[in-house]
Amino acid sequence: MSTNSEDERRQTAESDRCYAIEADRLELTYADGTEAVSGVSLSIPKGEFFGFLGPNGAGKTTTIKVLATLLSPTAGTVRVNGFDVEDEPRKIRQSIGYMAQETSVITEMTARENLRFACDAYGVPRGDRAGRIDELLDLVDLADVADKRAEGFSGGMKKRLDAAMALVHRPPLVFLDEPTTGLDPKARNRLWDYFEEINDRGTTIFLTTQYLEEADQLCERLSVILDGEIVAEGSPDTLKREVGGEILDVELEDGTDARERAADIALDGDLFGDDPVVDVTDVGISVTSREARNRGPDLLVALRDAGITVTGFNVRSPTLDDVFLAITGEHIDDENDGFASAAAGTEDSAADQATAPDQTTAADGGDL
Amino acid sequence: MNTETTAAGVERTSNSFLGDVWTNFMRWNINAIRNPFVVISSLVQPIIFLVLFTQVFGNVAGGALQTNVSYESYLLPAIAVQISLVVASSSGIGLVDDIESGVFQKTLVTPMNRAAVFLGKTLSELIRIVIQVVIILALGVVLGANVATGVLGALAIIAIAILFSLWFLAFSNTVALITRDQESTIIAANMLQLPLLFVSSAFLPVSAMPNWIQTVAIYNPITYGVDAARAVMLDADVMEVLDVTAFGGIWNTLVPSLAVLIVLDVILGAIAVYMINRASSASVQ
Repeated sequence: MSTNSEDERRQTAESDRCYAIEADRLELTYADGTEAVSGVSLSIPKGEFFGFLGPNGAGKTTTIKVLATLLSPTAGTVRVNGFDVEDEPRKIRQSIGYMAQETSVITEMTARENLRFACDAYGVPRGDRAGRIDELLDLVDLADVADKRAEGFSGGMKKRLDAAMALVHRPPLVFLDEPTTGLDPKARNRLWDYFEEINDRGTTIFLTTQYLEEADQLCERLSVILDGEIVAEGSPDTLKREVGGEILDVELEDGTDARERAADIALDGDLFGDDPVVDVTDVGISVTSREARNRGPDLLVALRDAGITVTGFNVRSPTLDDVFLAITGEHIDDENDGFASAAAGTEDSAADQATAPDQTTAADGGDL
Repeated sequence: MNTETTAAGVERTSNSFLGDVWTNFMRWNINAIRNPFVVISSLVQPIIFLVLFTQVFGNVAGGALQTNVSYESYLLPAIAVQISLVVASSSGIGLVDDIESGVFQKTLVTPMNRAAVFLGKTLSELIRIVIQVVIILALGVVLGANVATGVLGALAIIAIAILFSLWFLAFSNTVALITRDQESTIIAANMLQLPLLFVSSAFLPVSAMPNWIQTVAIYNPITYGVDAARAVMLDADVMEVLDVTAFGGIWNTLVPSLAVLIVLDVILGAIAVYMINRASSASVQ
């Protein structure tokens, strides 16, 4: 059936033109048996700003390492920029930029020397080097310290230099693995501007993050990964719509008992037309419903009638944190680098907290 | 210049193997120059040995030596070997440093040839050995040592120092990749250096030492590095641990010593290459 395979080849060629990354049922199991990634499929069109969102230990870094040819998949096929990760890793390495989670710059060298080393490593044409280095130094705001050694740089400066090193060869696809972890908000915003700028120039960006705000602000499309599997996909807005309505947060004065009673009142069939999702939070309750705006005042009245004191309330659109809560029953916690259990009663949180560190260890074991 | 455009539209000059070697060679040279303390301290210890040993033991040791050889001349080749030992032991430390800082992984995602990456680093270390051995030989001559075989002999001693360094360089990198820890690598290298030097032919003729040391010295690679360098230095058959007479003159020392060193280099080199390949391959361990 030669015609069939030719068709297939043509189709592959076709999709190579459109997709920067195509992963089909990618699996990765570490030698100790830890299944870090179990059946992840991704199709990322060229030029997209793609976000890979998930808590620590979910499999983000492992996936990105497979895509960047640092780990071979246990199963599944992966094509990056049209090249197969197993057959043509070197061609992939030529055509991607990779910024690892841990900042890595050569501290004995100046910023300019680091970039020159990257130019050498990626074989940037000699005539272009000086100009490109100056341009990148400007872009990441390191022109003033270009000839200072990187060992004296702040964390933010090193990150920016690291990012610039991943871009000297103008790769059409850039991997950013939690690029802003550990940075102060100012430095973070600066990097965001910069990533948006290179994306505007046509670069496909694959960003992993556990900061919902980051994903929300930057990414056109997101996949949410949990325990090695993709549990949701779509644009930030689509994902938020999946939450089903708006959210009414009610703060209550009294203790747990009052919160439980308030939750029962909110769940009472007549109050919100649809089936509201009610969570007991640390300070009160939180009701997700399409009718949150219309019927919210009714809830407040009902609470007053029941003798429960309301100290504050707010109706808001869902955030990605709500998406996360809706999908996984967990909050993704951007303060604490990991899980914070949601409402006190969430069932799986204990189990997940127990497994998450295991996976982190396994991923570290595979690190190089 | 050869410019290729890949399917992904990336323009890059073709990276040649030698180009990649050069890139890494220069990177590690800069590294060494920027850490003058490391470079100087790796010279200071052998210099202290040279000066102290010749001053303290010079008169006493003279009695244990063959006639008309000064202790300076006797000791200098051992110090040259010591230098290559010290520099070689820093090789693994550089590698661990790279792994810990993430620069190793950064190098692996570049299209550079991986063999070239390590070759460039190793060449930079060998250059340091050459420079430091030249310095110590010059200093030794100033202190009164005499290279009996002249300038050619001095060059041969440098070559022997390099041949000698390779097995320890490989050992250091292997330890680095097994422990993946800077302190362990430093300790493993330093712990071995001094005892190995003392239980070899480095400082005194083996025949002047207790029996057990004579036995250990036979299996100690340092004996062979020192004997080879010393044979050239003194223009004499100085080997005591093996009784070879087939080749005549200094070749009775050189042939067996160099053979031992080459075998060691090949075996430990192969282990190091295997470890490095494993560390840089994408398959999960």
